[in-house]
Amino acid sequence: MNTLLIQIIHQGFFGGVAAAGFAVLFNYRPSLLPLSFGAGLLALATRTAFLESGFTLPIASFFGALAVAIADRLWKDSRPVRGAVLAIVGAIPMVPGGIAAKVLITLFVMLGSDSTAIIAALPEALQGMMTLTFTIAAIGTGLALPSLFQPWTQRTREQEE
Amino acid sequence: MAWQQSQAEFVKRFTSDGEHCLSTQLSANCHRRYQFMNQNENDRLPPLESVARLSLSAGRLLLETGASGRMVHEAIQDIGLALKCDPTEVMCQHAAVLVMIRRGSLSCMQMTKVGEHGVNFRRAQAVRQVISDLMAEKVDYVKAQTQIERIPVATAAYPVWFVCICTGLACSAFSRLLGADWASFVPILIASTSGQWLRHKLAQNRHNIFVITALVSFVSAMLAGVGTRLCGSTHFSVAMISSTLLLVPGVAILNTQTDVLESKPNLAMARALRILYILVFMCLGLALAQALVIAKL
Repeated sequence: MNTLLIQIIHQGFFGGVAAAGFAVLFNYRPSLLPLSFGAGLLALATRTAFLESGFTLPIASFFGALAVAIADRLWKDSRPVRGAVLAIVGAIPMVPGGIAAKVLITLFVMLGSDSTAIIAALPEALQGMMTLTFTIAAIGTGLALPSLFQPWTQRTREQEE
Repeated sequence: MAWQQSQAEFVKRFTSDGEHCLSTQLSANCHRRYQFMNQNENDRLPPLESVARLSLSAGRLLLETGASGRMVHEAIQDIGLALKCDPTEVMCQHAAVLVMIRRGSLSCMQMTKVGEHGVNFRRAQAVRQVISDLMAEKVDYVKAQTQIERIPVATAAYPVWFVCICTGLACSAFSRLLGADWASFVPILIASTSGQWLRHKLAQNRHNIFVITALVSFVSAMLAGVGTRLCGSTHFSVAMISSTLLLVPGVAILNTQTDVLESKPNLAMARALRILYILVFMCLGLALAQALVIAKL
């Protein structure tokens, strides 16, 4: 239990640092940097919790993205901000850039290998590509899901008013 | 439709004034008077060319600062509504934005080219602020156009050294997320900071984005690989990958997803193709650096 908690805190903290770092790169206002840290922390902590519970990377990433997108929606209800500002920067540390790089490098290596080595490397490359594709799709879906309901909620509010 | 509503209001007013005019169909006399009034009203409203120009300036700036297709559409629609136009038709492509502005029987179609796509939140927010002010009638269309044109030079930004260090810190954090040891933390920080500085300098000189990507990837990975080995870490492979993650176009990847889900497949496909090429060039630099570090050290 302790190990799991430490792992979640570790991943959450460094997810927050990565998100805040990218928030500076994306020229977020200084007042948004702590919130960006929080968004990254929430996304990575959720993803790690699901990963440690035995879910696959795409499913865990989906829930991480969904958590941060819902938090972003709740935050925006009190502020006149357009776009998934915090959700995007929170989800950035979950984008599997490392897997993408590994897959592409494996493909480069395969170009100069003989057929036996290619066949040996193929399952790994294929698995990496599938994980990459499904993880990106899962993050995108998780982020977009709350905003897809936005027109409906807006219309309902207008009718109520 | 706005013009239909104003036409109906006109008919209602003149019917109540005792003129023999049906509320559902205009008589010839009534129609002429409507046209006269409408012409006068049109003279007071901003010309469609100006509305189109303002819409395109806002749309282009939003795309260049990392907005999704939906945000661009919404912004242009808001400008059209604020300036008493009918709902605007927008076609948002990766390299161009097209708008068709209508007001009654008048229409105007214009197009603009879009520059390099990047991410700049404060600029995007500044564009949204100008549009909000326009909708609230705090500014007129001339002032709005001037304000939008000034955004690239007037928006505040962090100092370059600070951006470079923060990017380096983000890449070092990535290395921890990917399971690298503490010994590789500082070399990655230095390598990514240097890589971001190089990217900034090359982008300032307007070099090709793919060439920049390959060069920065190679330099960052090389520095990270050598540094990590010198620090006694065995995680140099993870360290080299982590140091190049500043080049992964994360926002573009997420925007691609959003555009697909919000029925903008053309924009999404163009974004996806560009992302693929950026990743290929990034990996070319990384693979070359890995080959050198593994062979020589």
